[in-house]
Amino acid sequence: MSEKHLQTIQNYINKMPSLSTTMTKVLEVCNQPDVSANDLNKIISLDPVLTGNVLKLINSAYYALPNHVASLTRAIIILGINTVKNLALSTAVIGQMKNSTNKSLDMDNFWRHSICVGVTARAIAVQQKIAMHQREEFFLAGLLHDVGKIPMAHCFSDEYTDCLTLCKEQKIALHEAEMQVFGFTHQHCGRTIADKWKLNDNIAAAMEYHHEPEKSDEVHRLLIFSVAIADLYANIFAIGSAGNEYVDEERVLQILKQSNISWNKIAQMHGTIQKAIEKASIFLQVS
Amino acid sequence: MKYGGNTPCIEIRFPEINRLIIIDAGSGLRELGNELMDRKLPVEAHLFLTHTHWDHIMGFPFFAPAYVSGTHLRVYGPVTYEEDTLEKVVGGQMTYRYFPIREAELAANIQYFSLKEEEMDLGDGIIVKTKYLNHPVLCLGYRIEYQGKVFCTAYDTEMFRNVFITDPEHPDYDAEMAAEGELVATEQNSLIEQFYQGADFLVHDSQYTQEEYEQKFIGWGHGTIEYVCQAAQRSQVKKLALFHHDPLRSDEQIDGFTDKYCNKDYCGDTEAFFAQEGQVVEL
Repeated sequence: MSEKHLQTIQNYINKMPSLSTTMTKVLEVCNQPDVSANDLNKIISLDPVLTGNVLKLINSAYYALPNHVASLTRAIIILGINTVKNLALSTAVIGQMKNSTNKSLDMDNFWRHSICVGVTARAIAVQQKIAMHQREEFFLAGLLHDVGKIPMAHCFSDEYTDCLTLCKEQKIALHEAEMQVFGFTHQHCGRTIADKWKLNDNIAAAMEYHHEPEKSDEVHRLLIFSVAIADLYANIFAIGSAGNEYVDEERVLQILKQSNISWNKIAQMHGTIQKAIEKASIFLQVS
Repeated sequence: MKYGGNTPCIEIRFPEINRLIIIDAGSGLRELGNELMDRKLPVEAHLFLTHTHWDHIMGFPFFAPAYVSGTHLRVYGPVTYEEDTLEKVVGGQMTYRYFPIREAELAANIQYFSLKEEEMDLGDGIIVKTKYLNHPVLCLGYRIEYQGKVFCTAYDTEMFRNVFITDPEHPDYDAEMAAEGELVATEQNSLIEQFYQGADFLVHDSQYTQEEYEQKFIGWGHGTIEYVCQAAQRSQVKKLALFHHDPLRSDEQIDGFTDKYCNKDYCGDTEAFFAQEGQVVEL
């Protein structure tokens, strides 16, 4: 069955829309150090939908401002460059995937998990003294690490429900359950999506290897370990859920040991991470 | 320790009408709770949270009166994430995962109210007004008016800045953007100053010096001593507590700042001082 499954999922991914030119530019700008407010303003202004989303955010109940904000310039002063930058980035990516429906994965919980992994991976990047302009890549890699699950749950909802049950009953990781049911995992589907969207090698590698960081190329290793640990963090603290209910403690210790990232330091960031999740969660409502 | 190791918690007492308002539930709330247990029970209080960052709510599980039957606590605050109620954010700290007592087991009567920019009447002539500040999450300043006296808080907050390029020689300069940016930043700052205009006592975020801020902390959501002293003076504030000290500051450093900034030359008619742990100010 796995050949047939794989083909159906491949077709589904092929039919997914490409990222817009503006979005590709926003991604480019986000990876530049010290992006200027002027550049960001100009690039977003090129895309009326994106401009609309930024303005929708600032005028949403979330801010509940007494006066309506009608210009992007005003929005950038009030919300700040980073918020607007992340908003643009996340709305575009989540917007592509958000309308996908399925009966097995709770998508609100899925995105909450993804956001948690994104902000935690970025917090780890800060702790590991990664250069400022590379930190957004950690966020994006975390945000996207599990999107390979979406086509699987969308095309084969019943089988995916079986995976979720297996994971709970047999106390195995979800990707192992996927392997039993489908013969391939969401990491494989994630890689296919990364190729389709022409995401850079780092992010594609994180989507492909976040459960097996040791199998990736050395150059991507720190990013992938950060995403893997962020994923464990989200699962241990049950912040959102992407279906992986089982935490294998031995595996946690193994990954921490290999990565040289200190769990204590991450635990100390609990407050910071909570704040960042709150902040980032609004993106889901606007996308 | 002179200036304090606890995170924010301010008690506002109205002795003649026996009313109590608390602003923020930082770690200082624990000591306040213990002190309240020695006063006349039951405790009835309005607890206003400036925002839900952890350092401002972490004292809540350690607030002794919350475990005493008869206590009535009304908790108010801005809610940053619409889907999570204030109860979940604040009371959610008391799940078995973090803390051995669940909120449902608390004996006190606790009610939660989410706030936006608004004005409310707490009875006995106490009026509370709120204003959004400039911080990475929704954060409220409070203005409490009672019998002609005005007490205000403005933390955590940073001054708004024009983030657009203002140098006409710069290749990316855009005159319209620069002008609008300047206008909006000035206007937003003056709205905050209007909020604490004429206050008898203002407690304001002044975590950094201007130099530290410019070097490292732009966009972190905190204010500078220099800016705050000037703004308070412009707004005819009578007493100013410089508040929310950087956690790494030493008492000696703050004593040095007191000599440098807390004087007539720097603050004019505004009487400024650096807030200390347990300090009492009468209005």
